[in-house]
Amino acid sequence: MDSILRAAGMYVALMLLFRVAGRRSLADLTTFDFVLLLIIGEATQQALLGEDFSFTNAVLVIATLIVVDVGLSLAKLNSRPLARFLDGHSTLVVEHGQFLHQRMRRSRLTEDDILESARDSQGIESVEQIKFAIVERNGKISIIPKE
Amino acid sequence: MQKRVWRFERVGWYVLVIIVLLALAGLFGDGPLSDAEVVSQDGRLKVEYQRLSRSGTTDNLFITIQGSPGQPVMVELEGPLLREASIETMQPEPLVSISHGPALRLQLGTSKGGMATLYLTLRSGHVGSLEGVVRSGSNTEVHFSTFLYP
Repeated sequence: MDSILRAAGMYVALMLLFRVAGRRSLADLTTFDFVLLLIIGEATQQALLGEDFSFTNAVLVIATLIVVDVGLSLAKLNSRPLARFLDGHSTLVVEHGQFLHQRMRRSRLTEDDILESARDSQGIESVEQIKFAIVERNGKISIIPKE
Repeated sequence: MQKRVWRFERVGWYVLVIIVLLALAGLFGDGPLSDAEVVSQDGRLKVEYQRLSRSGTTDNLFITIQGSPGQPVMVELEGPLLREASIETMQPEPLVSISHGPALRLQLGTSKGGMATLYLTLRSGHVGSLEGVVRSGSNTEVHFSTFLYP
């Protein structure tokens, strides 16, 4: 019984913690981010399994995590506010060739980050060629070039 | 084909929900379904144990015996459960702890009302059913069994 409660509690705790950490796409992970994630995983594992290393316990913990995850995604389908709360929403950071600096600061993005993304995905050289740049919910920057 | 995959996913999720709810209820140990107690026929001896548990975890065994006031009371632990599992803790420390054939014989002090209690923590790596016997004198005996999931 306690392993179920532990797994569900840990899911909620991690979700809140990662909401605080903010959006960052998996592709932009630095080596340090990656090591940090590994350490977080290690610390979580201790709390999830405790001293119980039985097969049954491992299956129950995994089942709980999947049930909560799928359950939340089903709930998100029915409730827009919940989806907004859990996933956030996308943010416009460049509009018609102009950087929106206030929003970029809040999203912790620099001009270089956006230009890098623009070069990478669209082969764009300068900000004037960008119609819109949008930070998606997963932290990726989408670039829509000017015609 | 895609519809069948969707149905499989949806049914699978409901099955997982049921498993998680059953686990909360204690089907896999630690919960109302798993807590159990037996009382000997003369009512002097009561054992609270876990009906279901998992291999490699600790289980609590709580034994209460009614003896005569002020007199130490004898209790014997026996059976595959005691052989397969190791006793991690035993509270309180018995006055005497000796072997008696295949059994472990303990002598416990009693309170004014003649009650003696013993808390045990057991841990076993065994998978399957294990039976335990707790005895106090020739007429007072309880049998109980614990099922250990892998």
